[in-house]
Amino acid sequence: MKFITPSAEELSLLRPDPVLIEQELDCRPEVAEALEKAVGFRAGRAYWRSAHDHLYALELADLGRGRPSQARVFGHWDRFEPRPPEHEIRLDLVDFCLWVAEVSPGVDPQLVDRLARTGLNAVGLSRPPGAVMRTPEERFSNLPDYPYEPRYVEIEGLRMAYVEHGAGDPILMLHGEPTWGFLYRRMIPPLAEVGRAVVPDMIGFGRSDKPVQDNEYSFKSHVRWMRAFIKALDLRRITLICQDWGGPIGLRTLADMPERFSRAVVMNTGIPDGSGFSQAFMAWRRFSQQSSELDVAQLVRGTSRRKLTDAEAAAYGAPFPSRDYQAGALLFPRLVPIRLDHPGAYDDRVAIRTLKTLNLPVLPVFAAGDAITRDAEAVVRSMFKNVSPTVTIQNAGHFIQEDAGEEVAGHIRRWMEAAGG
Amino acid sequence: MLRPKPNWLKSMFPWEQKSLQVNGRTMAYIDEGDPQGRPVLLLSGNPTWGFLYRDFIPILTEAGYRAIAPDWIGAGYSDHPREDSALTLAHHIADLVSLLDQLRLCGFVIVGQDWGGPQGIGAALQRVERLAAAVLMNTWLYTDYVGQFHASPIPWTTWHAPIIGQYFQKLVKVLSHRGPTVTSKRGITEIEGLAYHHVFDEPESDSVVLTWPRTIPLREGDRGFADMAAIQRRLPELAGVPILLLWAPEDIVFPIEYARRLKELLPHAEGPIEFNNAAHFLQDDRGPDLARAIVDFLKNKVEVKS
Repeated sequence: MKFITPSAEELSLLRPDPVLIEQELDCRPEVAEALEKAVGFRAGRAYWRSAHDHLYALELADLGRGRPSQARVFGHWDRFEPRPPEHEIRLDLVDFCLWVAEVSPGVDPQLVDRLARTGLNAVGLSRPPGAVMRTPEERFSNLPDYPYEPRYVEIEGLRMAYVEHGAGDPILMLHGEPTWGFLYRRMIPPLAEVGRAVVPDMIGFGRSDKPVQDNEYSFKSHVRWMRAFIKALDLRRITLICQDWGGPIGLRTLADMPERFSRAVVMNTGIPDGSGFSQAFMAWRRFSQQSSELDVAQLVRGTSRRKLTDAEAAAYGAPFPSRDYQAGALLFPRLVPIRLDHPGAYDDRVAIRTLKTLNLPVLPVFAAGDAITRDAEAVVRSMFKNVSPTVTIQNAGHFIQEDAGEEVAGHIRRWMEAAGG
Repeated sequence: MLRPKPNWLKSMFPWEQKSLQVNGRTMAYIDEGDPQGRPVLLLSGNPTWGFLYRDFIPILTEAGYRAIAPDWIGAGYSDHPREDSALTLAHHIADLVSLLDQLRLCGFVIVGQDWGGPQGIGAALQRVERLAAAVLMNTWLYTDYVGQFHASPIPWTTWHAPIIGQYFQKLVKVLSHRGPTVTSKRGITEIEGLAYHHVFDEPESDSVVLTWPRTIPLREGDRGFADMAAIQRRLPELAGVPILLLWAPEDIVFPIEYARRLKELLPHAEGPIEFNNAAHFLQDDRGPDLARAIVDFLKNKVEVKS
């Protein structure tokens, strides 16, 4: 396990939950001594980040025996928010127990692992039944101009869907709220001529699985799922194309694994650090949070500059047969960190610091008619070292792929060729 | 599983206790009235529970609202953990946010007294787009005014001082077995007193009664100070939200100066409307009058359906 030193700012944004494990260590002094050796002290806190990106701390106390006498394990959750799903915490604690077994003499890690994965299954290492919705495939029959066969990868017990077309280095196209891969159908054919178009549906959208509980969805879980997706397909030399929530998720992923990315196209999006939002976004956020259900087909149709056919509008509504499928879509506007102390804002500031050190070429593409991301262009330009001149698309709005897909794809192809493919 | 309510309680408090899991613990709540009605969250403080709002529930539901009265973790019919850290201001806020999320409440109204104020408003600020209105009674939302009672060692700060507090609160049970009865203005009956007190009968069940006073921010660095300061900093976000102040000026815990400071921070708030013959637990002293004032206010400000 890799121990880290979180900043005071980060810790102040989190709420410690010390009841996860509490143990007197006098029953097995050799374990106490092993823990002291592993963390390098007998009284204090060692922090680590779990596979679920949650921050945990092991606190050791020396009550006068000359070795650690007591151990407590803390979770650190977003300060005023409900804690993450129980199955994530349980899996993280299993990982911690395995680490303890590895450093402790006289404890068999294999036995711990076996006990954890079999015996503990009874109390639930995964989601309870009914916690995930899956849109029936017949909702996706007769999609206009989206003939691609869906493919799936399994991520944390969830099925994440994607389509791909073409060959060569991957061109990863990330949609946002409240759309799905279908949004890119007019950009896939031209870009598949210069690379392998890979178009996933975010968890909670399109053909991907849709957890029901709000606390399954967080900024960090979306980033984690995207990292896992990229690793599952082993994508390298990626050209990232992102819009709306595809931006925050894609750019945070890029900051986490820059070695896998070659270039990025940032369209009508940015990476929110907790400050500066357009009035249009705040109005949309308020509207969405007061809605108990979204009419997604109507929303995309009403926002698009191009006139959508009935079949196209229906395709946007297809993933959501009812409100039960919409937890992720209803939450996206709220997950945008609009304050400095909002979940995700701190991690975004860290990511921006990383992005500023990278040399990869970046092409900003903004629609003249998008009020929601009007102010994001300057922020995006300031975030990267190697930024090409912004492409401004007239007669396009927020869903730039819908309004001017072929035109945007043409700009991207020319830019890729100019930059040496 | 919630523990069953005793039979003697049912005639005074007939409503079914529902429950859900928040942050790994069981939270009990009353959920009465038209499910389509605007949700009104009735939030009590130390050391009470939903019983404090028994006079509000029929009046609100008859007026078409959905009355939801949760018991804070550590109090009432919710879990009573011993861990101090599970009972802090930040934790209570996260617990209520979890309830707002799980019940999918849109366009809700916060009604809060004592800790119900900062905990309710703290949670509402996390979901501020879904907040329709707020009613505050004998409470506070700031770090920069402390009244004489809270700062005074006789009896307040002594009652919950480290080590000493364990004795006063857990053995003598000065708050959990005496609070609402001793301060009552209308003359509470013995059985009503028991309704408040019996939830703390189990040994080690009254940790929250000790954690709450210890979280009151008196000076910077106090536990709860940073969280209360964060709430105060964010009060401008409530500028567009109708707010009503109802106050019992005879309360020694939150005298009228506390209402005046709230009014400075929330200048658009209506009131304070003062209610005499009422002390700290004004919902118990003047329940029906307060409930009717809330209904009158809400009828003028927001739709009955959310």
